Amino acid sequence: MKTNKINLDAMLKPKSVAIIGASREPNKVGHVILQNYLNAGYSGKLYAINKNATSNILGVRTYQSILKIKEAIDLAVIAVPAQAVPSVLEECGKAKVKSAIVITSGFAEIGNVELQDKIVEIANKYNIAVLGPNCLGVVEPRSRIDTLFLPTYKLSHYKVGNVSFISQSGAIGSTILDIISDEGFGLSKFISYGNAAVLDEVDLLHYLMNDQETRVVVAYLEGIKRGKEFVKVAKEIGMKKPVIVIKAGRTSAGSEAAHSHTASIAGNYEVEESIFKQSGFIVAHDISELLDYAKIFDTSPEPKGNKVFIVTNGGGAGVLTTDAIASTKNLSMAQLSKNTQEKLREVMPDIVNIRNPLDVGGDADYKRYDDALQILAKENSIDIYIIIVLFQTPGADSKVVESIIKFKEQVDKPVIGITIGSEFTQAHKKMMESAGIPVYESPKAAAMSISALVWYYNYKKERMNLIKS
Amino acid sequence: MLMDFMKAKDLLKKYDIKVVDSIYVNSAEEAIRFSDGDAIVLKLISEKAIHKSKAGLVKLNLKHEDEIKSAYEELKKRGTRLSPYKILAQRMVNEGIEIIVGGKEDNEFGKVIMIGMGGIYVEAYKDVSMRLVPINSADAIDMINEIKAKDIITFNGEAEPILVNLLMKFSKLLNEHKEIKEMDINPIKINKDSYNAIDLRFII
Repeated sequence: MKTNKINLDAMLKPKSVAIIGASREPNKVGHVILQNYLNAGYSGKLYAINKNATSNILGVRTYQSILKIKEAIDLAVIAVPAQAVPSVLEECGKAKVKSAIVITSGFAEIGNVELQDKIVEIANKYNIAVLGPNCLGVVEPRSRIDTLFLPTYKLSHYKVGNVSFISQSGAIGSTILDIISDEGFGLSKFISYGNAAVLDEVDLLHYLMNDQETRVVVAYLEGIKRGKEFVKVAKEIGMKKPVIVIKAGRTSAGSEAAHSHTASIAGNYEVEESIFKQSGFIVAHDISELLDYAKIFDTSPEPKGNKVFIVTNGGGAGVLTTDAIASTKNLSMAQLSKNTQEKLREVMPDIVNIRNPLDVGGDADYKRYDDALQILAKENSIDIYIIIVLFQTPGADSKVVESIIKFKEQVDKPVIGITIGSEFTQAHKKMMESAGIPVYESPKAAAMSISALVWYYNYKKERMNLIKS
Repeated sequence: MLMDFMKAKDLLKKYDIKVVDSIYVNSAEEAIRFSDGDAIVLKLISEKAIHKSKAGLVKLNLKHEDEIKSAYEELKKRGTRLSPYKILAQRMVNEGIEIIVGGKEDNEFGKVIMIGMGGIYVEAYKDVSMRLVPINSADAIDMINEIKAKDIITFNGEAEPILVNLLMKFSKLLNEHKEIKEMDINPIKINKDSYNAIDLRFII
């Protein structure tokens, strides 16, 4: 949109919603959306619009046109055929609807630019914040908004939290929405913005930057529309909260008309990635990385430095993790003070070598973990803890998890878990994650995520120092 | 259009960026006089040639009069296909690691600055990093940290202040000169405590 000062509260926290194109037919998009709204337990005023209206659909009062509704409408969800969208949106304008989500596809994505331009024209004329077309819309668990036309039984249910997603692609968005239910963080806002005819990534980042309920932003971008404005908002939001970004189109070739080495190397993707880094964004290269980063940023306090200490009940896993830490550019292994070493020596059995990684032994139980962690909690040279638990060993059980959770609550430093295994392990992983400990299933994923965490806070610190000086 | 080398040299001078001693020569004799017994380099400069060394348009380490003379004649011969061209004589710089500092106007986002391993390695390794201009000193440090061969180009960190300083100067230059569409300063020869820009290529 022309202005950045856009408030999307009408769309994400609406007091009243009209679903235009609501249908009795269970396989119609307009039916699923209405059903999902009802399932989500939306407590505001809900209206259904169907031009062949009968008195109600799914028990919701139904009107022939939005103009027939007397009360003010915050949000219209539009799921009518593409050709009908402009006239429906025009009616929304006349009815002073504040925001609209156009779910319908069949616009610029298939070359129908003219029809899309009509939407833009009407949106500007009536000052309606329009999301889409060709999108999934939004999910806002706090206000129980769910405009997705995906049957709820196909999607695992997300938790309420502080991570917000914006996604140009609907399919990637819904995949993420499905798999985050298994991750240790909850959702604040999910916004699928499709063709970005009116509201684009600049508007959305601007909104999320100021959103108190968003701690971490995750963005899946395909094209960036307003380069210069994007750079501006990116730099601003980067200083405020972590943004994790994945950008499609990595393989784009450099400029063909290049007359220099620089121009032939600096293709679109390379330039975009540079801008992300310059803004403090964390660049992910696939969806699993995106989620790995999201959970560490959502749960971890700012690390005070880059020194990592590893506690493990498996020697091999400890060594692999040490290697993974060493292969990052910005992390190093913490060195224990003499005092801590002596204290550990007193309580650990002889088989335990007092060093980093600290292998507490394959026979370690909760008591062993607890003894070690209580001493390590007081060690100043450690900035970040990695706790590896291989739950296949006899002593590793939910009491070990309790020791770790107790420890996590004591220290104001990032505590990261690594567990590798199937069902029994997964159950314990979930316990730790629900206590705010990000748990990874590979040393590499853990190391990369910690590296990103340290990189981001260092980025911020360096720039704060520049502003001060 | 390629900016004339001497204009490019003056532009760098304005931003306090050092360029190796260079003149145009119109004869082998002029080149010999410029050499005055020291090793020099002769280069053919033409809009039609980006990869000068690959195309055999750079003659290195010429000391004796007959070396200079035969190199000059050979470049002249090659030049017939690359007309219009000029022949540049420069002091030979033996010491140092070659880096590139580049720039380009991106249609979507604006002017970009780039640093990386230079010389003939630029396109082979693509060990480079970029940022939008203007950059701050923290950006410059990040750019250097992103280079895989960081330890080589910074002499294990010793030359980092020089590189940061260079990047800040080039950022200012690129930011203030909207007419520059592309820039390759390649190579710049870096030492622990000094540097020399050798080849300057601005597309305006």
